[in-house]
Amino acid sequence: MIVAIASYVVGGLALLVYFFSRETWLRNLGAPLAIVGCVAQFAQLIVRYEITGIWPLLNLYGSLSLFAAMSVAIFIGFAIRYKLWFAGGFVLAIAAIFLAYGVTWNEGTMPPVPSLQSYWAKIHVPIVVSSYAAFLVAFVFSCVYLIKYYAEQRIANATVVASAALEGGGTVTVATPALSAAAAGGNPLAQWLETLPSLAQLDVIVYRAVAIGLPLISLGIITGAAWAKEAWGAYWQWDPKETAALCTWIIYLAYMHLHTRNAWRGLRTNWISVGGFVLVIFTYLGVNIWISGLHSYKM
Amino acid sequence: MATKVSALYDDFIRTFGNVLFAVLLFVVWGILTLIGVIVDQGKSATTYFDSYPAAIARAIIRLGFDNIYHSPWYVGIIGLILVSLTVCTFKRVIPARLPPLRPVKIDKIPLNASIYVRGSEASVRDRVESFFRSRGWSVRKREFGGEEWTFADKHNWARRGVLIAHLGFVIIAAGTTVYWAHGFSGETAIVTGQAVRIPETNAILKLDSFRYKITPILTKSGMVYQPTDYVSNVTVTGRDGIPKQMLVRVNHPIDIDGTLYYQASYGFATRMRVTHDGVNVASLSDRVLEEGEAFDIPGTRNTLVYDRFVPTVDKQSGMPAADPRVNDPAVILSVQQNGETAGTALVPLHTWIDLGNGWRVSPERYLLYSGFQYRYDPGIPLVGIGSLVLLSGLIISFYFLPARLYVRVDPSEAGCTVGVAAMTVKGYDIFAGQFQALLQDLQSSMEPPGPNPHLRKAEAY
Repeated sequence: MIVAIASYVVGGLALLVYFFSRETWLRNLGAPLAIVGCVAQFAQLIVRYEITGIWPLLNLYGSLSLFAAMSVAIFIGFAIRYKLWFAGGFVLAIAAIFLAYGVTWNEGTMPPVPSLQSYWAKIHVPIVVSSYAAFLVAFVFSCVYLIKYYAEQRIANATVVASAALEGGGTVTVATPALSAAAAGGNPLAQWLETLPSLAQLDVIVYRAVAIGLPLISLGIITGAAWAKEAWGAYWQWDPKETAALCTWIIYLAYMHLHTRNAWRGLRTNWISVGGFVLVIFTYLGVNIWISGLHSYKM
Repeated sequence: MATKVSALYDDFIRTFGNVLFAVLLFVVWGILTLIGVIVDQGKSATTYFDSYPAAIARAIIRLGFDNIYHSPWYVGIIGLILVSLTVCTFKRVIPARLPPLRPVKIDKIPLNASIYVRGSEASVRDRVESFFRSRGWSVRKREFGGEEWTFADKHNWARRGVLIAHLGFVIIAAGTTVYWAHGFSGETAIVTGQAVRIPETNAILKLDSFRYKITPILTKSGMVYQPTDYVSNVTVTGRDGIPKQMLVRVNHPIDIDGTLYYQASYGFATRMRVTHDGVNVASLSDRVLEEGEAFDIPGTRNTLVYDRFVPTVDKQSGMPAADPRVNDPAVILSVQQNGETAGTALVPLHTWIDLGNGWRVSPERYLLYSGFQYRYDPGIPLVGIGSLVLLSGLIISFYFLPARLYVRVDPSEAGCTVGVAAMTVKGYDIFAGQFQALLQDLQSSMEPPGPNPHLRKAEAY
């Protein structure tokens, strides 16, 4: 656990600085640390299971550990495939925060209550937590998209205003310069923005992350319903956790539908992705901690 | 009149066939669902007035938000979504996802390229066709207005992914409707040694014994008493009339004639000894009360309520202890007058308590009772199938990218110009990298390295 948190903190800092400076040695430091932290987390979960014989994901501590590990694992997959290490700082930082928070819920090893004594615990929980992790990765890249989008807008607006001032009034016809033109002109923000993938590419990355998360949460809801039928008699009891998960499913379903429309693809769908992740946090933590129900940790 | 109906129909199709309208319905569905998460469901009016400002509490009750998932709003929005899904499927999805083969203006499509290839028109056409076939594309040729077009498709079958997902949703809705129409559910509590008849099925369940296991664990927050097992030994008699011994455990329901019975809860029933002026009152003493049950005290306006069982009383404080194991049991009794609680007492077993007017009561023994839920749901197979169909549709839609290439070969000086345009069901950006790679491959396979393909909006990725 300490190895994982330390790796995430140091690696996250390195990759955060890399996000801005793009110095290769920072990526070369941060990437391996991300992998080390991720491997350490999975190892810790496996060892816990081997020693105690109790499935480690039955409490918030265990599930938050898996959430952090899967978030980093999914991000690593994207980073290797599409060369996206620049966003690693954000993913590692969030993973470290959730992992540290999870540690506060560690009450030691406790035998599971009867409703958790089921093989479904080994199926349903990892699937759902993995879906949340995929949505976290989508959220991070949506944030990068939005940063780039609004920064580009700012560059375009600033350049128009500057040109008008130079002209000294009168009728000014100024074609808004492209980002590359601003970068060629020495604008440091523009030069930095050019190191990021294009908005279209970022949007595709977000789509691909949601493409992992939405089927997983669908499968998670299905397996949860199957487990509920065995444990509580009905596959759907409108439990707050079930309905919050349904809300999350609905918002990403809306994302998927809107992404088919050219006018909605891009800025708007990325805002939906951001909103969706807020709902994921409410579904994952808010419902468990603040609302009483069948999934509740509320004392 | 016919024109009006026709106009109405067109408006209906235009509205319900609009993806944005469907998404708006999703948003409303999501908001209604979220209301049910935040507002406690199925509580009494008093609870809402205690928890919220009066105006909000009134709104919750009047709008049916206290039982929102069974309210007309919720059922209605699901109905509208199903209608929208049906209209979208036939009016939008099928035409968009299963487009007919038709010529296009190649240079107007964002993903397009043209390459120059030496050779006769016929040989170039053949080589282009072989190239795409060898790379797994399904190739078809059609003639339009005297011009021959070549169409290459990949993952054409996956165009139906959205249709499959939509079908899954409809099947799930059908399954839940079957339950509403023909299913039933209920709950019952059976005291040890007693039997109950289930009204819907006439099955008889007798609780032979119930046992539970509590494991004390010392944590950093203190001692925690973790329940680890609940088991009911029951004798069941179904339609065949033959009694059978069965075991019911959490996650291990029993099936009696198609109805499933689940271990849901347990509790402690108590038999009281009731006397009036020193004489045993048999009618009240023979009763076994479950937690929350009460009886009226004859000749008075009082009602004795058995609030709950206390497994362990802390010897030092005399208050209920956290240990749920039965060590030093007591019961909490309260007396109500005209619905108002007049007094409450923690009464250890075999201890008499004076209720006034000559009445005395003593909790004599406790009996475990087991709580069962039962459910008959003939719609489950449909819901299960629908879920898998929906999931399959989602996976197909997400992970397979149906793409169509439009290829035209035009003779030019000492060779041919091959124009290629690409369209996918998910826009152009997602296919840009693959398109560029494909065209470069096509260029190099046609002849020795020539001029680079003239590409628009095809970025390396």
